[in-house]
Amino acid sequence: MFLNSQKALLKSDGTRLDDRLPSHVRPAFLKTGAVSVAAGSAYAEFGSTKVIVSVYGPRESKKAQAFSDIGRLNCDVKFTSFATPLRGKAGQDVSDKEFSVLLHKALEDAVDLHSFPKTTVDVFALVLQSGGGDLPAIITCASLALADAGIVMHDIVAAISLSCVGKDLLLDPTYKEESQQDGSVFIALMTSRREITQVTFTGEWSSTKASEALELCCDACVKLGEVMRVCLKEDAAEATEDT
Amino acid sequence: MVVGLGLSSAEKSYIAGGIAVDLRGDGRGRHHFRDFSIDTSIIPQANGSARLRLGGTDVIASVKAELCAPPPGRPHHGKLEINVECSPTAAPEFEGRGGEELSMDLSRALQRSFLGGASGAGAAIDLASLVVLEGKLCWMLYFDGLVLSSDGNLLDALSIAMKAALSNCGLPKVEITSGTNPEDDADFELNEEEFTPVDTSRFPVIVTLTKVGKHYIVDATAEEESQMTAAVSVAVNKKGSICGLTKRGGTGLDPSVLLDMISVAKRVSQTLITSIDAEISAAESRHDDQ
Repeated sequence: MFLNSQKALLKSDGTRLDDRLPSHVRPAFLKTGAVSVAAGSAYAEFGSTKVIVSVYGPRESKKAQAFSDIGRLNCDVKFTSFATPLRGKAGQDVSDKEFSVLLHKALEDAVDLHSFPKTTVDVFALVLQSGGGDLPAIITCASLALADAGIVMHDIVAAISLSCVGKDLLLDPTYKEESQQDGSVFIALMTSRREITQVTFTGEWSSTKASEALELCCDACVKLGEVMRVCLKEDAAEATEDT
Repeated sequence: MVVGLGLSSAEKSYIAGGIAVDLRGDGRGRHHFRDFSIDTSIIPQANGSARLRLGGTDVIASVKAELCAPPPGRPHHGKLEINVECSPTAAPEFEGRGGEELSMDLSRALQRSFLGGASGAGAAIDLASLVVLEGKLCWMLYFDGLVLSSDGNLLDALSIAMKAALSNCGLPKVEITSGTNPEDDADFELNEEEFTPVDTSRFPVIVTLTKVGKHYIVDATAEEESQMTAAVSVAVNKKGSICGLTKRGGTGLDPSVLLDMISVAKRVSQTLITSIDAEISAAESRHDDQ
């Protein structure tokens, strides 16, 4: 079984089914300003994973919530019913909730909550198409949307996941690779500060392999962070030209 | 985790200062666990159960086994399910959404550590050992955790309790009467007299390192947890492999700090596993004597 799955995911020349090397990420497309009514928004594509995130606020916190000196970040992740191969996949509600929590945890430290006291910033993410690495795509896209909305942040957050299949470490896995993985790593990194805001490991890892995976992910996040900055600068320049 | 402890600034600086000089409020060093005690076979309806008391933290874990069909596409594997409940009887904060969120956080962290990858590799129990009849019948183990009282470090406590409950667990012997042909449905009889134990040698324990100031401590109390900036929970098995990792708390961590935390967790876990095994066998022999 072990061998079969390896054979299926890696070709004889060591490349993956989509011709990537194990340490290569999927082609990404990032664009801010996807939703005109939102304070800020972004659209991101990583291979076949497509997400859209809009940011609203800062606006008045709900009356029911207790008083808070610092601002609140409210994160909500939804999957469209056609995002997965099986319509409205069973257990989707659970992963919606879990993703919302993880998104919040990944962004919380990067956003300067003191800059909008007593108010709430809403981050709404929608997964249009789930093609693997959904959570990292959501986080990366949300961080762009927050920047687009002009929310004060200490740093932008880039996120990436990695699958361990047999002995191979596959960076930025596709849906197919994720469904056969023996273990996985997910990290969200503040790219300039090089600080991990959120990290999870599943499956069995030796220390050396864990540190190797961590390094791969961190490097990929730093590179992704550069791409994000370029995207923000270009979109901002475009916006000033238009006006 | 527990909000509203109402610590004064003097108490806060006492906690932080103690951790900085490696002498905590209760006399422990940074990397010392509190003393704990384990009771097994406390729930007669469950296949295995245990209660763990770790300082003021008190949790119960039970394992229930049911026969079912193997998961689709994986005829050689049994199933595990993990769930945690935080009752408001333990702390008023657990009422309503607060308890739900904490229960979900704890359940997810335990699932991450015990279920392994999507292929079933690296799970806390050899999933193949749970198969009764390939492709037709397997054991499904339900792990249920209950928090009775909370004084910090719930995740580690639950992992230890679940390990103890599993080693207390016996699966009744299944006799297949018909259905060994590939087309037929399986027919079986349960022999409630003979039990087979489950192999717990791969089962990891979780060690949570709580970062307070520049240092990190293991087995934090609720008061210490209220002062944390970040916490990393590492599941480690007997071989010293990492079986899952979860981060809590908002503050970012440098990758090198994370790696250092992992190595500390590995070191602490090995002595912890030895003392857990000793406690479990002591509890079992106590039980046999009665």
